Amino acid sequence: MLVESRMEKRTEPALSPLLLAMRGVVKTFGRSTAVDGIDLDVPERAFLTLLGPSGCGKTTVLRMIAGFETPDAGDMRLDNTPLADVPPERRPVNTVFQSYALFPHLTVNENVAFSLNLRGGIPDIPARVRRSLEAVHMADFGDRYPHQLSGGQQQRVAVARSIIAEPRLLLLDEPLSALDRKMRGHLQIELKALQRRLGIAFVYVTHDQEEAFALSDIVVVMNKGRIAQKADPQTIYSRPADSFVADFIGNSTLVEGRIRERRSDVATIGTSLGDITAPVADGLASGDAAMLVIRPELLATQGEGKATFTGTVSNCVFQGERNMIQAEVAGVSLRFAAEAPQAAGAPVSLWLDADHSFITRIAA
Amino acid sequence: MTFRQRHLALPVAAAIIAGCIAPLAVLVAFSFYEVEDFDLVPAFSFRAWGELATSTTDWFLIGKAVLSGVATTLFTALLGYPVALALTRLAASAKGIAIIVLLTPLYTGEIVRIYAWRIVLGGEGLINTVLLGLGLIDEPLKFLLFSPFTIGLVLTYNNLPFMVLAIWVSAEMVDRRLIEAARDLGARPVDAFFRVIFPLTTPGLAAGSLTVFALSAGEMLTPNLLGGTSGATAMALIDNLFGTAFDWPLASALALALLATLFLVASAMAGLLLRLKGARAMIGRT
Repeated sequence: MLVESRMEKRTEPALSPLLLAMRGVVKTFGRSTAVDGIDLDVPERAFLTLLGPSGCGKTTVLRMIAGFETPDAGDMRLDNTPLADVPPERRPVNTVFQSYALFPHLTVNENVAFSLNLRGGIPDIPARVRRSLEAVHMADFGDRYPHQLSGGQQQRVAVARSIIAEPRLLLLDEPLSALDRKMRGHLQIELKALQRRLGIAFVYVTHDQEEAFALSDIVVVMNKGRIAQKADPQTIYSRPADSFVADFIGNSTLVEGRIRERRSDVATIGTSLGDITAPVADGLASGDAAMLVIRPELLATQGEGKATFTGTVSNCVFQGERNMIQAEVAGVSLRFAAEAPQAAGAPVSLWLDADHSFITRIAA
Repeated sequence: MTFRQRHLALPVAAAIIAGCIAPLAVLVAFSFYEVEDFDLVPAFSFRAWGELATSTTDWFLIGKAVLSGVATTLFTALLGYPVALALTRLAASAKGIAIIVLLTPLYTGEIVRIYAWRIVLGGEGLINTVLLGLGLIDEPLKFLLFSPFTIGLVLTYNNLPFMVLAIWVSAEMVDRRLIEAARDLGARPVDAFFRVIFPLTTPGLAAGSLTVFALSAGEMLTPNLLGGTSGATAMALIDNLFGTAFDWPLASALALALLATLFLVASAMAGLLLRLKGARAMIGRT
């Protein structure tokens, strides 16, 4: 018996930490396809960010998870339960809206208590409201109306309102985009800390790659309704899956070329800058057209030995702690950072840390 | 004194004072005058007010004006609210057409409309003919025309556009995302309506109610021409006193009493409606 039950246990599938699974999900609006057949997994407790330019479909994905949009095709499951026929009010999912969407006729306390008041039979609502507001440092504002609060304060209340019912998954639709830079920085740190403390999975939508990198365990870069890459921030940054991702992330220079020779993880690519040997994306072979990604921090004006290009400074932008300089080398505009400003027209020698640049696919 | 936004109201305020308050002052003066040999003589007599105070007919008619105003407000609100909400769901192009259709009754003159109703509701009118033809009734329905029913029906019909427009404007301003937020937080559609949409449209409901009350309480033609024996109104009586009977003091006193009563009821309605939570939050913002 004992052996048998052990055997049974072994044949059981491992408990999946998967919270949300989307398979082949499609959503069209009239003639335009907003989401074009995506597969997306959100593990328990993950901070997953959907990153992409406006119109890439990221908000539509969020709205389908919330239940505001119905997929035209595909399957969505939460805790392995199909979501297809579940209306928004019955999904264990809450949303923080871009515009906050606080109820203007209700006080902060009443806004936060909204979901608990609807259920009935919930004990000690005022205490829970207070705890929820304390979590976002807004406990002293319970009697105010939304219009009496600043944007940052409204956003905190919106977060308190969305976590009070302890959802399985919290959706955040560009929640910080209307705030100034400093407030955004503060709230990023608070959101991340809150997510760790609550242990709720967050799906976060933004077009700001810095924000995505600062917050996320998993970044999903979207382009034209499809997923271009899904990985941790470091991988997205250093090994972009294609030229779209490389271009969207940071200030990289993309140089088109053809792979001359591939040896396991590195390849030599022929470009107008000359032949450069660098790490290469999977699936690219000798003879393929490809894109060399040069991130600004890989270029320096001084280097040892392998000094590589000479060119002319064409532009210099002061950015506070550093200057972003653009130089023309063999018809390619290279961007790099330097402490000292440089005059336009000045000659410049550049050294490239090719070992940390990356050769990737050209996006369709 | 610097120019502020509220000073924009000054020209209209001046017009209201000149065109409304001043004539009222004249009415007050007339109500104390006396009539001798069909001539209005300045005096300080309480004859007209005394006559008004003891007249049951006059107060009955004033009460009837209030009742007719309140009932019409209630009917138009109940019927107009769903229409206004439906309007907000239409596409922008369809909205324009729907608003024009909604206002069509107002483009036709009141007299034309009244005679059209007689054709529709009369003993040999459209409705009775159809019902008789279908064998649903054996003799014409008498209550359709020249009855309190007729007055209620036509007043509601005439005033419906004002109620719908006021609520519609208010409902358009309710952010669609607030409804999504309510659903997201666990509200069924019916909960979202009562907890979010309705409170936020109370300013429109208040504006519509006050408009419809004022228009319908003072209505004279419709009851007179469609109400039959139940069509007597305070307005018609005032008209009669000013004209045929040439009792300007009593006419003035009755007019002032009617005005004061309607003003009080309207104030009470406004106070009630604007104390609703949604209206307070929406209007109380600065």
